[in-house]
Amino acid sequence: MKRIESRLNTASAEFQANAEHNRRLAAEFRDKQEKVRHARPQRDIDRLRSQNKLLVRERLDLLLDPGTPFLEFSSLAANEAYGGEVPAAACVTGIGIVSGREVVINAGDASVKGGAWYPLTVKKTVRALDIAIENRLPVVHLCDSAGGFLPLQADLFADKYMAGRIFRNQCMLSKMGVQQVSVVLGHCTAGGAYVPGLSDYNVIVRGTGAIFLAGPPLVKAATGEDVSVDELGGCDMHTSVSGTADYPAGSEEEAIAIARDIVAQFKRPQKAHTEWQEPEAPYYDAGELYGILPRDIKAQFDMKEVIARLVDGSRFHEYQPNYGKTLICGYAHLWGYKIGILANNGVLFNDSALKGAHFIELCNQGRTPIVFLQNITGFMVGKEYERRGITKDGAKMIMAVSNCEVPKFTVMCHGSFGAGNYGMSGRAFDSRFLFSWPQSQTSVMGAEQAANTLADVKIRQLAKQGKQLSQADIDAIRDPVLGEFKRKQSAYYTTSEIWDDGMLDPVDTRNALGISISAALNTPIGDPRYGVFRM
Amino acid sequence: MNVLTPTETEWPALRERAASWPFQAVLVANRGEIAVRVLRTVQRLGLKGIVVYHAADRGTAAVRLADEAVEITGETPVGAYLDGAQIIRVAQAAGAGAIHPGYGFLSENKGFCEAVEAAGMRFIGPTPEQIDLMGDKVRARNFVEKAGFPVAPSAIEDDDPKTFVERSRQVGAPLLIKPSAGGGGKGMRIVRDLSLLEQEIERGRSEGQRYFGDGRLYCERYIENPRHIEVQVLGDGQGGVVHVFERECSVQRRFQKIVEETPSPALDDAKRREICETAAGIARSIGYRNAGTVEFIFGQSGEFYFLEMNTRLQVEHPVTEEITGIDLVLQQLRVAAGEKLGCTQDDVKAQGHSIELRIYAEDAARGYTPTTGPILVLHPPQGEGVRWDSGVLHGGEVTSAFDPMIAKLIIRGADRAEAIARADKALKDTVLLGCKTNTAFLRRLIAHPAFIAGDVHTGFLDANPQIAAEPVLATETLQALLAAASLSTRPMRDVADAVPDMHAAMGSWRN
Amino acid sequence: MHHAFKLGDDVHNVELSRSATAYRLHLGEQRIDIDLRTGADGRAWLTLGERHVEVVIATRGDEVFVHLDGEAYALRYQHPLDRLAAAAGGNAEDRILAPMPGSIVSVAVKAGDAVSKGQTLLVMESMKMETTIAAPRDGVIAEVTYEMGQTFDRDALLIALEAQK
Repeated sequence: MKRIESRLNTASAEFQANAEHNRRLAAEFRDKQEKVRHARPQRDIDRLRSQNKLLVRERLDLLLDPGTPFLEFSSLAANEAYGGEVPAAACVTGIGIVSGREVVINAGDASVKGGAWYPLTVKKTVRALDIAIENRLPVVHLCDSAGGFLPLQADLFADKYMAGRIFRNQCMLSKMGVQQVSVVLGHCTAGGAYVPGLSDYNVIVRGTGAIFLAGPPLVKAATGEDVSVDELGGCDMHTSVSGTADYPAGSEEEAIAIARDIVAQFKRPQKAHTEWQEPEAPYYDAGELYGILPRDIKAQFDMKEVIARLVDGSRFHEYQPNYGKTLICGYAHLWGYKIGILANNGVLFNDSALKGAHFIELCNQGRTPIVFLQNITGFMVGKEYERRGITKDGAKMIMAVSNCEVPKFTVMCHGSFGAGNYGMSGRAFDSRFLFSWPQSQTSVMGAEQAANTLADVKIRQLAKQGKQLSQADIDAIRDPVLGEFKRKQSAYYTTSEIWDDGMLDPVDTRNALGISISAALNTPIGDPRYGVFRM
Repeated sequence: MNVLTPTETEWPALRERAASWPFQAVLVANRGEIAVRVLRTVQRLGLKGIVVYHAADRGTAAVRLADEAVEITGETPVGAYLDGAQIIRVAQAAGAGAIHPGYGFLSENKGFCEAVEAAGMRFIGPTPEQIDLMGDKVRARNFVEKAGFPVAPSAIEDDDPKTFVERSRQVGAPLLIKPSAGGGGKGMRIVRDLSLLEQEIERGRSEGQRYFGDGRLYCERYIENPRHIEVQVLGDGQGGVVHVFERECSVQRRFQKIVEETPSPALDDAKRREICETAAGIARSIGYRNAGTVEFIFGQSGEFYFLEMNTRLQVEHPVTEEITGIDLVLQQLRVAAGEKLGCTQDDVKAQGHSIELRIYAEDAARGYTPTTGPILVLHPPQGEGVRWDSGVLHGGEVTSAFDPMIAKLIIRGADRAEAIARADKALKDTVLLGCKTNTAFLRRLIAHPAFIAGDVHTGFLDANPQIAAEPVLATETLQALLAAASLSTRPMRDVADAVPDMHAAMGSWRN
Repeated sequence: MHHAFKLGDDVHNVELSRSATAYRLHLGEQRIDIDLRTGADGRAWLTLGERHVEVVIATRGDEVFVHLDGEAYALRYQHPLDRLAAAAGGNAEDRILAPMPGSIVSVAVKAGDAVSKGQTLLVMESMKMETTIAAPRDGVIAEVTYEMGQTFDRDALLIALEAQK
C-alpha cells in the first residue's frame, strides 16, 4: 500500500484562508461544547452540592478508566431546541472504557432541569441504547433524573421511538446477553424506576438514591399513605427488603467504584475477525484538514487529501483509479483496522455509482468495514444520464449500501444533498456511527436551489391571482425561506436533532472512527446477502 | 603461639589443643545472631556445635549452621529459651560437654550456671558466685565501692525499706529508679520532679515484679547528658585479667544501645588508661573468669562511676574484636576449658576504629516502636571493613516474640571518619524488605554533625528528635515510590492492562 | 481517584494507566510516563519520564516494599472499595487498632459492656513498656479480639465498639 502523495500547497493563500476559516469554526464548536458541558446557573450547582451529589462530568471521571478516551455522542443535542435551555438534552452518552471494557455510558445530567427527560433526551438515550444493541456494548446507566418533562409529554411518551423504547431496548440488550449496570444516584421515579429495574446489576447510593413507581407526594395523594423517601424506595429498603437494588453504597464514589467492579466481571466479547496490523500515525498532519476544507459549500476539493490525514501512514490502495473518478474507492488501515473507503470527489455518475456498488460488495466479501466520507451534491441529472440509467445505477448503490453486512461509518465532511446522502450511507442507512464536521450541510437539495424553487411556487400562485411582484416582494418571500432552509441544513441543526452521533472537530475524526470501529467489531459480521439489483 | 590473635596458620595448632579440652561439643543456649556467632568459633575449633531452638526459629541461620539442632518448647517462645532444666536435659542427651549461654536469656542466671555444672558440663561464663555478685546491682555497687572504685550517689531499698523514699529524695533530682534485679533498661524510670517520686517508685516496682519477679528497687543520681563507656575485660579465674579497651555506647534509645564504637571519641590516652585499668581492677578484685564488661557512666567533665558489670558476652563485642583481632568467643571457650589467658596487658593491641550499628525492626519515627514482618528480600552489604552478624535469612520472619534486633552491621576503618563513611555506604547497600527497619534512621544519625564530632551522650536522641522523625520525602522520591508501588500492585496493573491497546494509546482523548 | 497508597501517615491517591508503550502514573493533574523492568536477582529498573533508577521491590498482600536510593520504604495499598466503604461506613473511632505489635497484659472489658470515654479497655505490652488502651468515646463494646497473653501485629484490631447511630 503506497502513501498518498499530497498535492496540497500549505503555503498558498487559499490554504491559509481555509485554515483560518475552519479553525475558527472548530473553535466556535469547542466553545459551544464547553458551555453545554459546564455552564450552569450557580443555584443548580449549589443545589446538587447541597445534596452531596457530584456533577455528571465528575461522575464520568470516576467511572472511566484513567488515561482512556471517551467518545461522547451528540454533545450538542438540543442546542437548537427548547430555546437552548436544555444543553446536551440533559444527558451524556458515549463510549468509554470501564475496567478495560468498552461500554456505552448513559448518564443523566441533573444540573439541567433536574435531569428531566425532554423529547430529545429520550431520542438521545434511545440512540445510545441502539448503539449498544447494534454493537453489543454493555451499558452503564448513571441514573439521576426528575422524570419526563410533563409539558412535552405528548412528544416523548407513547410513540414507537419514545420513552418506552428505552426500556424496550434494555430488554433487548438483556435478551442478547449484553450486560447492563445502573447506578442510582438520584430518584428514579415512575418509568425511570425501570432503568435500574431492567438492568442486570444495580447499585444505589444511601441517602440520595431512590427507586419507586410513585414518590411520596403521589402516594399521599393516591392512597393517603404517609411515607418517607427512604422507607418508600431508599437504599437499605431496596437492597435488604425488596431486592430491587443489589448493592448499597455509602457515597457516589463508592457506588461508582462498585459499578466499576461489576463491569470488571463482564465477559469480554470475542471481536469479529477482520484484517488488522500495527497502527501507524498518518504521515500527514491532521491539522492540515482545516486548510483543505473550502469556505464555500459549493467549492470542490480533493477528498484524497482528507483520506491522507485520517489513515495509517497516509497509505491507500485505490480501487479503479481511472474509472468513475468522482467516487474514490479503496482500502486503508485506520488505527490498524483494515477499512474500505468510499469518498466523493464530485457528483455521482453512472460509472461512479456502479464502482461504489461493486466496491461495497468487495468489502463485504472481504469482511472489511466501510467508511463513507460524504461531500455529495447528488446523482447526476439530465436526459443523457437518465438514458444511461442513472436511477437504476443509483438504486444498485443504495441496495448495496442498505444490505451491507459489514459495519459502516459515515462522516459528513462537507455537503450532503439529495439522494447522494442515501447512496453514501446517510442516517437512514444504519451506519453504526455517523459524525458531522462543523461546516457540513445536509438537505434534500442546496439552499439557494430550494429557496428559489419554493419562491417560484409562491410567485406562480400569486401570478395566477394576478399579482405583480417587484424584486423586493420576491426577496421578501425568498429570503425567509432561504434563511430557514440554511438553518435546518446546518450541522448544528442536524446534530441538535440527533440526525448524527455528534459533531466532530475534523482533527478528532481518526480517533472517533477508531473507537467506533473497535466497538462495531463486537458484533459478528454476517455473510453477504442482498436484495435484487436492478440490472 | 599467640593465643590472643592466632593467625590463620596457627589455627590448626589451636584445633589440636581444643581436641584435648574437657568438652568436645558445645550447646548454644541462645538464638539469632549470637547463636550464629558462637557456633562459628566453636566449629572453627573443630568442636561440635549444637543449638536449641523454638519452633518460631525453625529455619533460621543458627539452626541451619549448627551440627545439631534440637527443638525446645515453652509456653511462649521466650519461655522455651528460659527453660534451663529443659535445655540441660537436651544438652546431656546431645552429648554436649559445655553450654554457651550467649547474651540475655540464661546468660546471667546463677541457678542455671550451677545446674549446668551440677550436670557435669562446663558453663561458658563466670562462676555462679560472680554472677550472683554482679547480678544484683545493689551488692555489686557496694562491693565495688568497698574495693575503692568510684560509684554514683544512691539509695538502696534493701538497706532500710522504710526509709527508701526519703533516702531516694536525698540522692536528689534528677535520679534514676532501677529494679535491683533488672538489666537492659527494663523498668528504669527517670525522676526529675521529686513530687512524682512515690508514684514512679510504685510503677517501677510493678514493672520489676512483672519482668524479674522481684519488686525491689534502688535509685541513684542521674547524671545529665552522660556518656556510656564500657570496658571489655577478660579473666581466666586463675589470676589472669586483661582489659581489651573501651567501647562507647552513648547513642541509645529507650535506654538501649543502638550504635557502639571503639575507641571512644571522648577519651584521651590518659583517661582511657584510667578507665580501662579501673575496669581491669574491678575484674581482678573478684578473680573474674570469662569475658565481661564493666560499664561506667561518664560525666561531661570526665568523672566516671561504676554502673554495672555484665558477666557475659555483650551484643557489641564485635567492635572490640575488629580493632584488636581478638576472637572473644575463642577466649571464653579457652578459659572455660581451664586454659590460662597466657598473655599480658601489653599483648593486647588495637588499631583502627570500629562502629557497630544495630539494625532493628522498628519505626524510629513512631517512638522506636517495634515492627514485624517477613524478610522478603535480604541483600546484606558487602565490602572492605564490613561485617554483618545476623541470625535472620531471606524468607525468615521478624515477629514480636523476640527482641526486634535483626542484625548488627560492624564496620572497621583506619580511623573514625573512614569507619563512618563506610558505615553510610554499607547502610545504603543494605537491602532488607518486608519489615521496616531503622537503617534510614541510622544513616541520618551517623550523618549528624554531633555524631561526626563524637559529641554524643545517652540522651542525644531524645534531645534531637528530628533524627528519628521521618524526613519529608522529595517529590521525585515520592513519585518513584508511587510508580514502583503502582506497577507492583495487581489490582492497579490489572485495570491498566485490561485496557485495549488502541484506547491505551489514545490516552485521555475527548471529542 | 480510585487507588491509594498509605506511606507513613500520608495517603496518596494515584491512578495507573497504560500508554502506547508502557504506563502512565496519574498524580493529581500530573501525568508521568513510567515503566518497570525486573532483572533476575529481584533488582529492577524504574523509569520515570527521563529518569532511570534502580529499585528492589517486594510485595506481600497489600504491602509493597521498595528499596530506593539506599532506603527502604513500605507502602500499603488501599483498594478503592475498601477505602470508600470505610469512608462511608464512617467512624474510625469504632475500631481500636494496635499502635504497635505486642501482647496483651490484661483486658478490662468484654463484648456488650458499656464504656465511657477514657476508660481503660486493655493494657498491652510492647518494647518492655506497658501501654494502656482507653475508650476513644462513650459506647458499647462490640468485640474484643485478643485474650491475655496473645500477641498481635501493628494495626491489628484490638477492640471494636458498636457503631454509633
